[in-house]
Amino acid sequence: MRGWRLVAWLCLVVWALGAVPSSASAQSSDSLFVTGVRAYKNLEFDLAAWLLRRHLAQLTASGAPPAARAQGLVYLGAAELFRGRRDSAVAVFRRLVMLDPRYHPDRLVFPPEVTSLFDGVRLQTKTVTVDVPRDTTIAPGPGAFGIWVIASSFQTVEVTLRYEDGAPFRPLYSGPIGDSLKVPWDGLDAAGAPPPVNRVLLRVASRTATGDLAGIVQVPLDLRLSRPDTLPWPAPPADSQFLPERANTGTARRALLGGVVLSSAVAALPALVGGTDVSSGPRIAVAGTIGLAGLLGYVLHRPGRPLAANVRANQTLRDAWQRRVETATAENARRRRDVRVVVRAGQATALQPRGP
Amino acid sequence: MRLRLVGLALVAAVLAAGEARAQTLRPTLSGSVVTTRVRSQSTSPFIGAGPAFLGQGALAIRRLKLTVSYLQGTLDPDGALGASRPLVEGTVLLGVRALDWLTLETGPHARAYTLTGGTERWLFWELRACAATAFVGSTVRGYAELWRVVAANVNVPESFDHAQGGEAGMILRLGRSPLDARVGYRIDHAVLHAVPGGGKRLETVDGVVIGVGVNWR
Repeated sequence: MRGWRLVAWLCLVVWALGAVPSSASAQSSDSLFVTGVRAYKNLEFDLAAWLLRRHLAQLTASGAPPAARAQGLVYLGAAELFRGRRDSAVAVFRRLVMLDPRYHPDRLVFPPEVTSLFDGVRLQTKTVTVDVPRDTTIAPGPGAFGIWVIASSFQTVEVTLRYEDGAPFRPLYSGPIGDSLKVPWDGLDAAGAPPPVNRVLLRVASRTATGDLAGIVQVPLDLRLSRPDTLPWPAPPADSQFLPERANTGTARRALLGGVVLSSAVAALPALVGGTDVSSGPRIAVAGTIGLAGLLGYVLHRPGRPLAANVRANQTLRDAWQRRVETATAENARRRRDVRVVVRAGQATALQPRGP
Repeated sequence: MRLRLVGLALVAAVLAAGEARAQTLRPTLSGSVVTTRVRSQSTSPFIGAGPAFLGQGALAIRRLKLTVSYLQGTLDPDGALGASRPLVEGTVLLGVRALDWLTLETGPHARAYTLTGGTERWLFWELRACAATAFVGSTVRGYAELWRVVAANVNVPESFDHAQGGEAGMILRLGRSPLDARVGYRIDHAVLHAVPGGGKRLETVDGVVIGVGVNWR
């Protein structure tokens, strides 16, 4: 009787699945799950197992998220257990733990037989998941990049960064882990320098209590160094800003020529305005004084004489430029040190060791 | 004709004053000793000399400049004969700085000699051109000034023909001090027509100017 009902159910489901178009596969997957759960609740465990396996196969093919697959797996494991296939149930639960180490069956939905079996499997299964920011920019330094390692059960883990070829890049942690652990990375390589490569692998290896390798979870990290632009070098003062540091011939010549012209003008004034028979003594004295002043001016401003005031002014100009250069140099050095690392995490992959 | 020239110069000065609004005034004051010497060649000649005090003040605003001066002294005749002649002079000149180094001025120039028989008064209306520029660094400025009388009114028997004059010298200023020292030479020469039965009159006044001034900037 039970066999006939199963055949009838299968026919019904096959007919239903064949009737829906392929574009509605997501909807049919949901139907399989709903139907499978209904069969489970109706204690039709064979049918439930068959439907849920179909449902999980479709989810796996479509790359559905772990949370979506977890529900199907726990019902499948329970169905297998009640079908008397304990090993299959253990395998399903193990798969579930590998998928989501933190998963716990709802104790209001599943009986103690199921939950205790699941807990046992979880304790035996040594696996982790790794939670890292998908895309972030960090300033290298202690605790710059946080890696959350979530364990299924107490175990020992080795968290390392590796080159793409698998060679060690930077060991991060090695030791026990209970529920979860935040492993910090400062964004630097083992020598304390910014990463010289564009891609590293974050590898978390789980080990059993005996030290055997239980599994590896690996996340590729794309790295890119980001440096702020440096300041342009301050332009040196233009030549036109500098004052002559030595007297040129113009000033001296002007003094000499001015003295000669002006003293000549004084001497020639009476003739110029028509005055006659004027006393020449005082006039010549004034002309001589002016001429002497011109001569003195020539000596004081003789060509090539250092102009102290101009030298000081030019030095002040050079010093100001030098200060600007030093400021820019210091700022650029600070900016060169201010390296940012852009970290982009890829898809995690789990590797299982081969059995003996 | 001469009065018209003076009038034109004054109009130019007034027009230039339009730019002078909202500008700061730059006053200058100076006091000088002038070793004045007068030589008058006429029917009653006079040659005399003596020190005189010259006070000058100027007020400049942008390109416009107003200058007043007052000179007073006593001329002692050369030789033992003759009486001393007190001399008083004054000018009021309105000027425009046409170029950085050139200033054009116009205004009245009055001169009076006190004689035993009365006061001899001369009134000249003058046009002046004054060039000034530094020639020893910025410490020493040289200046040269020429003027021409365009109209005159004198109470002497001779009739006025023409007159002109000039001054040249240097002004020394040390550093940023507002004080300056000045040394120069000035001369003016007037020619008056002969009167019937008399000779032509030539009047020459010259002297060395030594003074100090204060220039507020």
